[in-house]
Amino acid sequence: MGFIEIKNLVFEYFRRDDEGNVEEMVEAISDISFDVEQGDFIAIVGKNGSGKSTLAKQINALLTPSEGTVIVDGIDTKDEELRLAVRKTAGMVFQNPDNQIIGSLVEEDVAFGPENLGFSKEKIWNQVDNALDCTEMEEYRAVNPNNLSGGQKQRVAIAGVLAMEPKCIIFDEATAMLDPVSRKHILNTAVMLNKEKGITIIWITHHMDEVIAADKVMVMKQGKLMLQGTPKQIFDKEDVIYDCGLMPPNLYQYINFLLEQKMIDREEAESIESDEQLVDLLCTKYSDEISYSKTSSGKTSVNKNPGRQYQHLEYNPAEGILLDNVNYIYNKGFAGETYALKNIDLHIGKGEFIAVIGSTGSGKSTLMQHLNGLLMPETGSVYYNGKDISDKDFPLKELRQKVGLVFQYPEYQLFAESVEQDVAFGPLNMNISRVEANQRAYSAIEAVGLSDTIYDVPPLSLSGGQKRRVAIAGVLAMGPEYLVLDEPTSGLDPVSAKDLLDMLKKLQHEQGITIVMVSHSMEEVAEYADRIVVMDNGEIVVDGEAAYVYSLNTLIDSPCYDVPLGVKILHGLKAAGIDIDICKHRKKDVFAELCSR
Amino acid sequence: MREMTIGKYYSVDSVIHRLDPRVKLVVTFIYVISLLFMRNIYMYAAAFAVLLVYVNISKVKWSYIIKGTKGIMAFLVFTVILQMFTVKGADIIFKWRFISITRTGIYSALFLLIRLILIITGSSMMTYTTTPTALTDGLERLLSWMKKLGIPVHEIAMIMSIALRFIPVLTGELDRIMKAQTARGVDFNEGNIIKRVKKLLPIIVPLFVSAIRRSNDLALAMDARCYHGEEGRTKMKPLQYDRNDYIVYILLVVYLVVLIILKRLLHLGILSGI
Repeated sequence: MGFIEIKNLVFEYFRRDDEGNVEEMVEAISDISFDVEQGDFIAIVGKNGSGKSTLAKQINALLTPSEGTVIVDGIDTKDEELRLAVRKTAGMVFQNPDNQIIGSLVEEDVAFGPENLGFSKEKIWNQVDNALDCTEMEEYRAVNPNNLSGGQKQRVAIAGVLAMEPKCIIFDEATAMLDPVSRKHILNTAVMLNKEKGITIIWITHHMDEVIAADKVMVMKQGKLMLQGTPKQIFDKEDVIYDCGLMPPNLYQYINFLLEQKMIDREEAESIESDEQLVDLLCTKYSDEISYSKTSSGKTSVNKNPGRQYQHLEYNPAEGILLDNVNYIYNKGFAGETYALKNIDLHIGKGEFIAVIGSTGSGKSTLMQHLNGLLMPETGSVYYNGKDISDKDFPLKELRQKVGLVFQYPEYQLFAESVEQDVAFGPLNMNISRVEANQRAYSAIEAVGLSDTIYDVPPLSLSGGQKRRVAIAGVLAMGPEYLVLDEPTSGLDPVSAKDLLDMLKKLQHEQGITIVMVSHSMEEVAEYADRIVVMDNGEIVVDGEAAYVYSLNTLIDSPCYDVPLGVKILHGLKAAGIDIDICKHRKKDVFAELCSR
Repeated sequence: MREMTIGKYYSVDSVIHRLDPRVKLVVTFIYVISLLFMRNIYMYAAAFAVLLVYVNISKVKWSYIIKGTKGIMAFLVFTVILQMFTVKGADIIFKWRFISITRTGIYSALFLLIRLILIITGSSMMTYTTTPTALTDGLERLLSWMKKLGIPVHEIAMIMSIALRFIPVLTGELDRIMKAQTARGVDFNEGNIIKRVKKLLPIIVPLFVSAIRRSNDLALAMDARCYHGEEGRTKMKPLQYDRNDYIVYILLVVYLVVLIILKRLLHLGILSGI
């Protein structure tokens, strides 16, 4: 008997129209059966809307089967009397860090579950202490959760579940809203709980690179289980993965490529578990002729701060956006006074695709708001086409039209009754006639790759990826020459994210729009950005063309950035004494470089 | 908006922070009521002295308190000036057309100012030193007798503490939405009143949608953590009166007695009042 037994599970719900009449019946899960053993690490992957979260909610009785049975630790989830017992056994960490914290202090929030379970006061304190210790949040126990970062809030959420003594924890896309560093931290915490405490983990995600450590992976599409097996068995079936709207982890894209090229054999491919192992393997492969010393690719000293590295770039100060020695201070004059921006010198020229990389709190979002005058520098100046934007007679409204700003999760700002109205909202604010505003809306909707059937649809009924496109179209319709986007792909599944970035590249190439994109991840922008600006603590630490930036050793060794695997491989080979061009960063270029040797 | 600190919990460990929230609720309530009955400078001096001691023991920084009152300073000044011009008396010291300032007016404006400052600082001291959870917990216990009247005290307290927890989250959201719509060409300071109200739509709709989405999420999260109402629920920090709590109650009685004596003395003409 398994710890979790799911038999012929079907879950249906009715979609109703405004009057409450049944419009259609949606089958979110159709006939799924599987067993989970106590202590397993199970990953359920699928793109948005594949039914993976619905499946997860079945396991802790937040939803109950329409047909079939779900049995958790011997309890049928349909038994209403025992629902609390099921939820105590299988706890859940949700996606949005802000929306699952109830307490006003970290420790009070962690105690919420134990309090509901009626534990004694001594036991509650004990559980809270242990849970905070386990998640390394001990030092924050008396802090208001609102003051924590997203990753820290998720750790509080994990502690809140742990304090209930669960046998199983379900992570329902718990890392989707986090930066790469916090994402790894949360995943490592889950692995640790699984290994050391024997807690069964159900890990729901659309990022395949998170499931490498799982015992078993299940791939879902449209409510059906398409594949199940060990990670390696799954990654072998690339075509099915792509068909499900997912992408194999980068590591396996490289392994599969190398296998195809017969540069490594099956046995070697089987032995690789991590990026580092692949780099090491390739080093030994390539340096058969040259004497290869293992130490060379071993970790060099870990340098947290990559140091300043600027490439000298020629520019015309009378054109584009120029930031000259810009400083911006939060809470000026008060206790919490902090420099959000320090001595920023930056020129953004026409037609560039710039990626601004930095971790949470590095100042990249503050920088972004300086580009269209939403924030004005404390000292220093911002020039647009040579004119100072803080001048009294500078037309700010015109600037905001020319420099379009797309905030993070822009779909949260949609408000109109139809897509057409929402997209035309910006142009209408510029006192353009309704006919022309609609014209602009139509071409913007086309430019973001949506069809004309969408005009009359209420934006809130669209899928996540479509909503985001509509929101971007709303900014595009204003006819900007510069499009500034704050983490445009966050929360999207890999295929939607790739489509969106392709679309931005197309805007740059076909319409000559300058793209400035803020991102957490170097990996993400490797295929797209022409120029990369790295921010740290309110300062620009690196600025240069992509080829220049990816060739910097100091940056590649820094653990703060999500360096693309291809770049890691090339740097590893170079360090092992192999003559190779380390300026390559796009996957196909790296492949070509590997083949040429 | 986000920089407003009035009423925001000030995280530090002090005797006051550790007091039972019920004590702080009762003390604050009585203190504010007592201010409404004050008639002379001695009584205000007593009230002020109590506040001074209270703040010092609480370890809340004065700069934090002063920063907190900044937001309502304009309102304060306006009320006081209004009082100065509207209170009539015989002792006119300045007169221009229909405007006149009297000595009585100045005194009553001054007293009003002191009273308002004491009320605001006194009541915000409660929220500076008590977390929203503790506060609603205390309120729940103090009002638990109302359950007999069929009033869902526990549920109301839970709703209050969730509301308090989400205020900063939603103000942050409001800030983002306003900026995003400004970036799309909305100028909130332009046009007549009808136009301005219309401009609120692109802010209020997303804010509501977000609030509903968040409350849905939160409800699920609470379900997942076995919340099922008050029945069978225990507390991590059950409210229990401590030695310090009783001392504060006694001090409260002493304070009231002092006020009554001061009032008596004035009445008997032993103290000269202003």
